[in-house]
Amino acid sequence: MRRSLRALAALLAYPTAELQQALPEVRAALAADATLAPAMPALDRLLAELGAGDLLDLQEAYVALFDRTRGLCLNLFEHVHGDSRERGPAMVELAGIYAAAGLAPAAGELPDYLPMLLEFAAVAPERGADLLANAAPLLDLLHRRLLARGSAYAAVLHAALLVAGAEPGTAPLADAPEATPEELDAAYAEAPVVFGPDADPAAECGGVALAAKLRAARRNPAPPMPSRRPVIRHVTTAPSGG
Amino acid sequence: MSHFLDRLAFFKRYVEPFAGGHGSVTNEPRGWEDAYRQRWAHDKIVRSTHGVNCTGSCSWKIYVKGGVVTWETQQTDYPRTRPGLPNHEPRGCGRGATYSWYLYSANRLKHPMMRKRLLRLWREAKAQHPDPVRAWESIQADPAKRREYQKVRGMGGFVRVSWEEAEELIAAANVYTAKTHGPDRIIGFSPIPAMSMVSYAAGSRYLSLIGGVCMSFYDWYCDLPPSSPQTWGEQTDVPESADWYNAGFLMMWGSNVPQTRTPDAHFMTEARYHGAKTVVVTPDYSEASKFADLWLHPKQGTDAALALAMGHVILKEWHLAGRSSYFEDYCRRYTDMPMLVLLEPRDGVQVMGRQLRAADLPDALGETNNSEWKTVAVDDATGRLYCPTGSIGFRWGEQGKWNLEGRDSRTLEVTTPRLTLLGNGGETAEVAFPYFGGRAPEFFNPSRHDEVLVRRVPAMRVRLKDGSARLVATVYDLFVANYGVERGFGDCAANYDEDRPYTPAWAEKVCGVPRAHIVATAREFAANADRTQGKSMVILGAAVNHWYHGDMIYRGIINLLVMCGCIGQSGGGWAHYVGQEKLRPQTGWVPLAFATDWHRPPRQMNSTSFWYAHTDQWRYEKLRVEELLSPTAPQPLKGALIDFNVRAERMGWLPSAPQLQANPLRIAELAKAAGEAPAAFVARALGDGTLRMSCEDPDHPANWPRNLFVWRSNLLGSSGKGHEYFLKHLLGTVHGVQGKDLGEQGGVKPEEVVWRDPAPEGKLDLLVTLDFRMSTTCMYSDVVLPTATWYEKHDLNTSDMHPFIHPLSAAVDPAWEARTDWAIFKGIARRFSELCVGHLGVETDVVLAPLMHDTPQELAQNAVRDWKRGECEPVPGKTMPAVVAIERDYPRTYARFTALGPLMDKVGNGGKGIAWKTEHEVEFLAQLNGTTVVPGVEGRRPKIETDIDAAEVILALAPETNGHVAVKAWAALSQNTGRDHTHLAKGKEHEAIRFRDVQAQPRKIISSPTWSGVESEEVCYNAGYTNVHELIPWRTLSGRQQLYQDHPWMLAFGEQLCVYKPPVDLKAHQAMVGRVPNGNKELVLNFITPHQKWGIHSTYSDNLIMLTLNRGGPVAWISEADAARAGIEDNDWIEAFNLNGALTARAVVSQRVPEGMILMYHAQEKIVNTPGSEVMKTRGGIHNSVTRAVLKPTHMIGGYAQLSYGFNYHGTIGTNRDEFVVVRKMAKVDWMDEPAASDQAAPAVAAE
Repeated sequence: MRRSLRALAALLAYPTAELQQALPEVRAALAADATLAPAMPALDRLLAELGAGDLLDLQEAYVALFDRTRGLCLNLFEHVHGDSRERGPAMVELAGIYAAAGLAPAAGELPDYLPMLLEFAAVAPERGADLLANAAPLLDLLHRRLLARGSAYAAVLHAALLVAGAEPGTAPLADAPEATPEELDAAYAEAPVVFGPDADPAAECGGVALAAKLRAARRNPAPPMPSRRPVIRHVTTAPSGG
Repeated sequence: MSHFLDRLAFFKRYVEPFAGGHGSVTNEPRGWEDAYRQRWAHDKIVRSTHGVNCTGSCSWKIYVKGGVVTWETQQTDYPRTRPGLPNHEPRGCGRGATYSWYLYSANRLKHPMMRKRLLRLWREAKAQHPDPVRAWESIQADPAKRREYQKVRGMGGFVRVSWEEAEELIAAANVYTAKTHGPDRIIGFSPIPAMSMVSYAAGSRYLSLIGGVCMSFYDWYCDLPPSSPQTWGEQTDVPESADWYNAGFLMMWGSNVPQTRTPDAHFMTEARYHGAKTVVVTPDYSEASKFADLWLHPKQGTDAALALAMGHVILKEWHLAGRSSYFEDYCRRYTDMPMLVLLEPRDGVQVMGRQLRAADLPDALGETNNSEWKTVAVDDATGRLYCPTGSIGFRWGEQGKWNLEGRDSRTLEVTTPRLTLLGNGGETAEVAFPYFGGRAPEFFNPSRHDEVLVRRVPAMRVRLKDGSARLVATVYDLFVANYGVERGFGDCAANYDEDRPYTPAWAEKVCGVPRAHIVATAREFAANADRTQGKSMVILGAAVNHWYHGDMIYRGIINLLVMCGCIGQSGGGWAHYVGQEKLRPQTGWVPLAFATDWHRPPRQMNSTSFWYAHTDQWRYEKLRVEELLSPTAPQPLKGALIDFNVRAERMGWLPSAPQLQANPLRIAELAKAAGEAPAAFVARALGDGTLRMSCEDPDHPANWPRNLFVWRSNLLGSSGKGHEYFLKHLLGTVHGVQGKDLGEQGGVKPEEVVWRDPAPEGKLDLLVTLDFRMSTTCMYSDVVLPTATWYEKHDLNTSDMHPFIHPLSAAVDPAWEARTDWAIFKGIARRFSELCVGHLGVETDVVLAPLMHDTPQELAQNAVRDWKRGECEPVPGKTMPAVVAIERDYPRTYARFTALGPLMDKVGNGGKGIAWKTEHEVEFLAQLNGTTVVPGVEGRRPKIETDIDAAEVILALAPETNGHVAVKAWAALSQNTGRDHTHLAKGKEHEAIRFRDVQAQPRKIISSPTWSGVESEEVCYNAGYTNVHELIPWRTLSGRQQLYQDHPWMLAFGEQLCVYKPPVDLKAHQAMVGRVPNGNKELVLNFITPHQKWGIHSTYSDNLIMLTLNRGGPVAWISEADAARAGIEDNDWIEAFNLNGALTARAVVSQRVPEGMILMYHAQEKIVNTPGSEVMKTRGGIHNSVTRAVLKPTHMIGGYAQLSYGFNYHGTIGTNRDEFVVVRKMAKVDWMDEPAASDQAAPAVAAE
């Protein structure tokens, strides 16, 4: 198990007394992972905050940040599918990936919960890193939003981006400019479903659909306003490559 | 050369062209097909519905794959209708369909949460007091601690807690409150049980077991039309939507069918294909207008004028002209038109008094039982007086004569009553009719006529028991004169063009509808009804019901339908659907929901009066009774509106909560010490003033509501009229009330109520909300509990729109930590039972119950006598509320919650005035659900462990879902009427619907006497059908459709008959004009709040689809003309405000909206994209931030036939459309997203 990722998962979950007690252990696990070195100063700030803060205050801040702020929702598909029909099938696929690795969601969280994804990456490093890499645009989005709020939790996203092999951005994401009507229309347009040999199985529902969706999100990042629905049904005949 | 060898003999080539070369078979890979199959593969399909408070009740297929809901589609397996009638499908709208995407939305509530400040106090207290009840006490006993968490309500600050910790705190608070203040300080608000009746019952069962109070909703939402109980003694009963198809003439009057009744709107389209003519009446060019052959657009709030003028035409051209024997026969048999009314001489003329009763006459017409409750008519053949069977006096104390067979009760001969006394050698009387049209406030067309219109009415003299000779007239003659129809006396309008009440020319002036349209519509409406025997229908709704005098608008419309014989006829009648979600298996549900299997009666409260008192809206009341009283009022009634409510509570007309300024758990001891029975003790102590009712001092801390549960509701974000007053007085947090109370401004204070200064802020100790989303109510709560949604629980759902019952099913387990409502309240009940030990044991709870409709108490008060003023003695159940001592076994609350109690076999069940035995069903439930032992109770009881068990209890006990019970119920009613009605259910006697049955397919219910229509293969469900066709009386004074209201308060307010009353002046805007200028021009507009298109009914509109389809935040619509006047452009931010508070919204400038109106869709919350208010200096409010509830005294009447209390049946209503606001463009849009400097300056709610 890549314990550093388990540690990241723990840090990003709801703060508890148990976590506070385990902070030295958490830090040791993080420090042992060379990949995370660039994020360590930021992680130390978070660790210090979690270590020194009053637990109820920390919990209140966590709830305000992650439970009550849609833009920082830790269920990643919120940022990909929003309230849309694709969300259910996407979760089914992701759960399938976990199942292939012999794991099932246990803690009453949905499969797209970021700490769960991090824990998966800890247990199944190769497949997990792959998933994180696909999720990099979202991690980047959350990272910059947290930076904009001056939240120490940005450190976890920073570290996750490093694991994903992506370059963490440093620019805080301020409010996105209002989308034009044309952009809104484009974001909501659905590509026609194509049948026959030209159809793209991966985009429709294949095992690699998640990657396709995450790529789509990358092409159209930072859901400005109503978080957009990526075009997941390719109409081109180009190989999907996913 | 031959090709013989080239041709294959035994094979053909696989790949060869066919269809003349147009097609070819290839063998390319077909993997893409698998992908597509996988995309639409699923593990199971589960039937459920969307339990929003919408009457849709649409069956949906929920597709589940891998334990996740993947998509949903409309179900299309409703049982067929009959040949010649369109089917129900498709049902379900796009808004509902967005729900499965909400299931996993970031908006979902995921974990139990508690306000951090409260949790910290709680944990500290727990550290000092191991007993959680003592811990809660230590917090409540310290005002500083209490204020510390109260004052940050609505400002975020939640932390997650475990279920155990949440349950413990809630249970401890409940125990402490019951022990210290009384269980009637524990309040529960949940609306519309029909949408998920088991979930409703979960909370109400818990509250009813511990003696808490369940609050009404239909009246509070202002969806209850008081005209229905007034006219029919019926809460509301309406045709199913399929019956629209049978209509020949359809009016849609203030009801926006395609927008708010989307799944039923196809019947409207089909009715038009079928040839129905359609007239739509809406002030704005609403979506419904597209159905119109003729669109009428009266000034909002003046619809009664239109209805009265139509009635004027119909009475003149049909009734007085004798053109329709059908109308005349109908009015004789089914209305109180032939009944006699006593005229009272006053100032040289006569005023209309009460209806003549048998008891007024020398020999009481031979009636010995309830003769003062038997109305009197004239035998058309002989001219003698007689008592027609069926009036309410026959309903109680005797059997067999409560029917509409039209017999003289003495001779039992079928007798024709005389409609008019004209031309029968009688005399005439000069009768004074009140006219209120001149009282119209600014912005409404006043129409100046005398306040008293004297008209000549045919009359006769009758010698009374006291020897006096008095003039009487028939309701019919008074009714015609009231419409101002000329009968040859020369005192009414000569033609339609004369501007005199209530001619078409007069109406044109008042409401703006051209007189030609009024006349044409009236003529066609009546002609169709005459030709088809009543197939003219009016679909009417919120737009006309939500006015202070909405009952007058409704009565105007009802009169049209009654005078044309449309009520009780398929394809005709009134169709009021707003908020009217018919809980079809009601009598089976009541024992479960209100724990009447263990204790009777439950505590129930009418919400409008409750919130008016406890959110201190009464302290700001500017509407004076003098503005409302009739110039013909027999005696002057005085006082503030709350004074009237207090009197109504005292006399047992309306319920009370809390009830007494004493803990009801201590009354029995005091009574015992005094050597009296509890009822006698309470009556005496109230009489001598040693005990007081809570209503007389609502601001006294002993009378505050202390704990409030809200579930299945968004009380503070949606229905809470006077939102800012809730925040200020009930919750004690940041608010935007702009006005001063009567004390601060030196106004006239109430007489009956103690005035306390300063006004209390923060009455509530604990607010607990169960929801699946972080609604506005959750934002203001102390504890928030995540509930299962509509695909995560088992429940039942019914509607008034169609006759089917169907389920909500747990397609998947509740997401995150959510639990079903049933499980949540079960958990609280369990913890309560544990924690109460040592504080509460077996206790005697003294319960006050109002005089109830459908019981002999509805004959309690033939006159208004107030014991407090010494006008009579306080007699429980007669001149004051009934007093019932109930034994509660508090430590056994959980055991009782989960078992069906023994009263079901001992006392039985019933409803609407009839009762039947239920041993058989109890035995059946024991076999079906299994049994359990409840300590302290003999034998084993049927279990109610799971939500499905609870559903089975409902289904087994209800006549609508159990044929055996239906036959028993009809047999019980047959005893009363003397007619055999069992044939209505006999054919289905052995039919019993189980929960798994409705999961398999929606099931049509069985006819039951709970309702006034029948389920049959021949006719559609239509209200009043059994009254007309089975001759079952309406549950009114005369037993007929009661068009004449003769209670003394009705006489005082001039509402004996339907009159035109313009909107009232609530005086909330004038003082704000120019008071807080921002440099922009101010408009004064009427504030209108219809149901919306971009929301899941009134439940939520914060999903991305709805927000994106609309404008992503609060909007309000104004006309182009008004916008131009104030320099407002479409999409500008505007603010609307008055003394009640303020709201901010984007302007939608539209030609759809008439001038003078601002239209803001109901239930847009302030949690999305709502900037700060320039007026309140806090975040902009919700639509109810600019409203305040105002009570109408005639809705408080009780103990008087159909005007007797029933939960959600009758009572004050939360009107809000008479309100005016100041509107202007905002100068600065402040999102208030900077950190707040201090608590005081913090935004009330953090928008995201």
